[in-house]
Amino acid sequence: MKYSTQLARLRERKLAQTRAKLDRLGTQDEDDYGNILPPPDFAWQPPKTDGGGTFQGARAWAAVFRSLMEHHPVYIDADDALAGRWMFMLSRMRPQYRLDRAPFPFDYSHLEDEQRLYDITSGIGADAHFAPDYHIGLQLGWGGLKQKVRASLEKHAGDAEAVELLEAEIEIIEGVQNWIERTAAAGEEMARMETDPTRRENLAAMAAINRRLVVQPPSTLCEACQWLAWFNMASRTYNRDGAGGQLDELLRPYYEHDLAEGMIDDDDALYYIACLLLNDPHYYQIGGPDKTGRDQTTAISHLILEAAHLLKLSCNITIRVHDGLDEKLFRRGIDILFSDQLGYPRFSGDKALVAGFMKNGFDAGLARERIAVGCNWMSLPGREYTLNDVVKINIAKVFEVAFWEMLDNADAHSVENLFSLFSTHLRHAIHCTARGIDFHLAHQYKNEPELLLNLLCHGPIERGRDASHGGVDFYNMCIDGAGLATVADSFAALEQRIEDESRLGWQALAEALRKNFDTPDGEKIRLLLSGSDRFGRGLSRGDKWAARITNLFAASVKAEPAPVGRNLLPGWFSWADTVRFGKTVGATPNGRRAGAPISHGANPHPGFRKDGALTAIVKAVADVQPGYGNTAPLQLEVDPCSSHSPDAKIIVGNLIKTHFDLGGTLININIIDAEKIRDAHKHPEKYPDLVVRVTGFTAYFASLSKEFRQLVVDRIIQEQVC
Amino acid sequence: MPIGIVTDIQRFSLHDGPGIRTTVFLKGCMMRCVWCHNPETIAPGPQLLFYPNKCIGCGECLAACPQGNHHFVHMDDTNPAAPEYGHATKHAFSRASCTVRGACVKRCPSSALQMAGRRMEIADVMAEVLEDRMFYRENGGVTLSGGEPLMQPEFALDILRACKREGLHTAIETTLCYPWSRIRPLLGELDLIMFDIKLADAENHRRHTGVSNRLLFENLDHLNQCGRPLIARTPLIAGINDNENEIMPIARALGRLDNLLYYEFLPYHPLGTGKYEALGCATPAFHAPSRQTLRQLAGTVRAQAPNIKIHINGKPEENYEIQHTTGPLA
Repeated sequence: MKYSTQLARLRERKLAQTRAKLDRLGTQDEDDYGNILPPPDFAWQPPKTDGGGTFQGARAWAAVFRSLMEHHPVYIDADDALAGRWMFMLSRMRPQYRLDRAPFPFDYSHLEDEQRLYDITSGIGADAHFAPDYHIGLQLGWGGLKQKVRASLEKHAGDAEAVELLEAEIEIIEGVQNWIERTAAAGEEMARMETDPTRRENLAAMAAINRRLVVQPPSTLCEACQWLAWFNMASRTYNRDGAGGQLDELLRPYYEHDLAEGMIDDDDALYYIACLLLNDPHYYQIGGPDKTGRDQTTAISHLILEAAHLLKLSCNITIRVHDGLDEKLFRRGIDILFSDQLGYPRFSGDKALVAGFMKNGFDAGLARERIAVGCNWMSLPGREYTLNDVVKINIAKVFEVAFWEMLDNADAHSVENLFSLFSTHLRHAIHCTARGIDFHLAHQYKNEPELLLNLLCHGPIERGRDASHGGVDFYNMCIDGAGLATVADSFAALEQRIEDESRLGWQALAEALRKNFDTPDGEKIRLLLSGSDRFGRGLSRGDKWAARITNLFAASVKAEPAPVGRNLLPGWFSWADTVRFGKTVGATPNGRRAGAPISHGANPHPGFRKDGALTAIVKAVADVQPGYGNTAPLQLEVDPCSSHSPDAKIIVGNLIKTHFDLGGTLININIIDAEKIRDAHKHPEKYPDLVVRVTGFTAYFASLSKEFRQLVVDRIIQEQVC
Repeated sequence: MPIGIVTDIQRFSLHDGPGIRTTVFLKGCMMRCVWCHNPETIAPGPQLLFYPNKCIGCGECLAACPQGNHHFVHMDDTNPAAPEYGHATKHAFSRASCTVRGACVKRCPSSALQMAGRRMEIADVMAEVLEDRMFYRENGGVTLSGGEPLMQPEFALDILRACKREGLHTAIETTLCYPWSRIRPLLGELDLIMFDIKLADAENHRRHTGVSNRLLFENLDHLNQCGRPLIARTPLIAGINDNENEIMPIARALGRLDNLLYYEFLPYHPLGTGKYEALGCATPAFHAPSRQTLRQLAGTVRAQAPNIKIHINGKPEENYEIQHTTGPLA
């Protein structure tokens, strides 16, 4: 490999940058994102806007963003094929920002009581979390995008909303162009100063490419990667947007062109792609069907996998598994999963995703175009607004509300009565969430318009409407439930221990829960509950309840009235919120103590089964898919007895394919060495380059909080796979 | 509907035949191998396993047991009066008078008391077997194991028939120490036969397993004619059978089999020792042969029967070094 020295140095620098982030910012239970710290002497203050200390609306966001772009430090690494790193997240620089609750200048106090009651993450004011269509940018370049906006501005001269939006878009573009232009100039200067001929040549080439990209669209593979990197960095800086696209198909024309012209070989291509993946761990899909069903795997799909393998850093690549998938790509993906043990690639299941999305009334072609570009989510690039992964209902909290209502008020204590109350409260929670989504859709464009993503969508520029406000064609809005296993196991425990076996009375249980099992026989009761017939065991009460709750949740979401054009899609996902959600819920009848994390996504609680846990979990999660095209991912930690065993790879391949045959939608998988993870949990500093797939995203293990590292350790399935 | 006694049904079983399998362990074995790592499978009826270190002293079993076989005594045993619940106590269990009805097991919240062996109908077994049918694919399936599945021949046959009706690949693990007339009816329902040869010397076999190996060697000729693929296995225990005198005749006998897929060494592992304690028995102390001995014995087999493929712990011999040096991490 021609560039192994450069890539090794880049990797070392990336690890040093990650350590510096950890030292400065402390542990972060999030994606790595690819950002680095600004230079210590850098200072910038947002320009004054009308917002009184904050900024809202297209004009203000554009002004602040442009100013940041014009001041943003320039970053060039002579070993890199691509220039630039991002350092700031504007959306988090507003006062009162919280990850679970974005600032929003419109009053929604009429929803807040229920949001608190059911611990709803409403998504009101949340941003990004839908996918751009990079083709638009790659075809037009920043200059072409500006022309397109200007033409639309002329057309919509009498439309105030459009004028404000489109003028802001021009500011945004010019801000990005400024950043690129300053980078090109700095590159030229560095090239002049550089004495090493290889580095000088690389710096000069980088400078020339960026000089061109200020206005022109990319024409080579290296330029295309650089263009994608600029858009990603700008969009991250604006509002953390991390959605990628079908990377193999985006890059294929440039790769084939450069190869045919004799401009590059595969080593060059690997280097460019590795630098793109290093620049930012965006979510990219490779392989999978095009809209006619034909597999999209080509030589560059393989190169993308190999580039990740060369880099061995945090990376979010998903292989879309379908019947026509190139088997070599699938097998190589598993090889790399085993050899690198860094949680990539992930796998998504085409069959259930397509069938599920079609249940909303869409055709198969459109369903196939809805690709894996986010933590747990699919999106139609450039055509769909979704709020994916930012709207969640803590159903453990909903259960708690129903449980205590029955215990405190009703005479007839029974599991069926409880389920009836739970159903009622779940519908209330869903209704409240849906109203929140409508409120967001009505106001978000005045709060935080999607000024970067709009540029790469079909509609917002043409119509002069923000993507959140009628700019795109599809509004398939996410509602994820979290805590499925906690609730299913609670129902199963009540049914088994109170009603079927008469081992426990309602009041004795209530007393134990109120006191968090801190009573003379509290531990006995807790073990009795936690030892009941749990979700994930197979043919168990818990499995039955999990299926029933899934049906209830999906049906209740789909029964919500849909204001014009808006469609709700149910999923099970908790992202990194299992800890936060757990803190709001008291002790539960599954033997879980107050404040302990709720269950992860669609997974059973750890310890659900002693042996046979792998096939059991693979089947259990496939059986609880809400089934409308959004996911309920299977999170899998497997410690095979040997990472070199060919049999273990065949078996893991079997597990993945069977999960998708059974109806699964997405697998986030870690092939790990349990001893190493346990040691890293005790001594994170010893493993600075250990990456794990925490949930949909990967993160440096050492950068996670202790609580989160514990969750990963607890999830490991102790089963030999060879 | 025939009812059998099943020790356990293990899903995602990778060491009892090819692919991903479900192994149904039928309870009861006529052998008394002193190194057995599944002692709870030997007796034909259900048995109580007691793990004192899991006991939380809740006293549920005291009330549950009609014979009063569970007691709590003071830790220091100085005060014979029944101590109060929650105090420093020790759980004592009178196994001799236990009738294994299992009432205490049902009440125990902490799994300190467990039952080895449950009565099951074919439909119950099949429900569990079919849970993983999607994982079996081309080469996986169902394996009947024990104990010795031929101790419950009718139940075993009914399970195999039910599996074949579902189109599943079937296998059996047996000691072959039965008259051929008991084995033959199962053949039509089996895709693979795995059998153990523990010792070649007749006297040694009787001494260490309690049973003659005459039928086993007689049955090899029948097996060779039945046309089914075969896998032979020898558990290797240091000082018992890890020597050429035992392995050489076994290899010679196996070399005459036309359908032998491979011959597998299973070095002793001590994973069953905790179960001896839970059954109230003394824990035997055995060891696995050294790697050097394993290599020598593999050489012995090759010298006697060059056509035989050798596996060690489920892997071809040539892969064993990698497996062993990497070590089981799970």
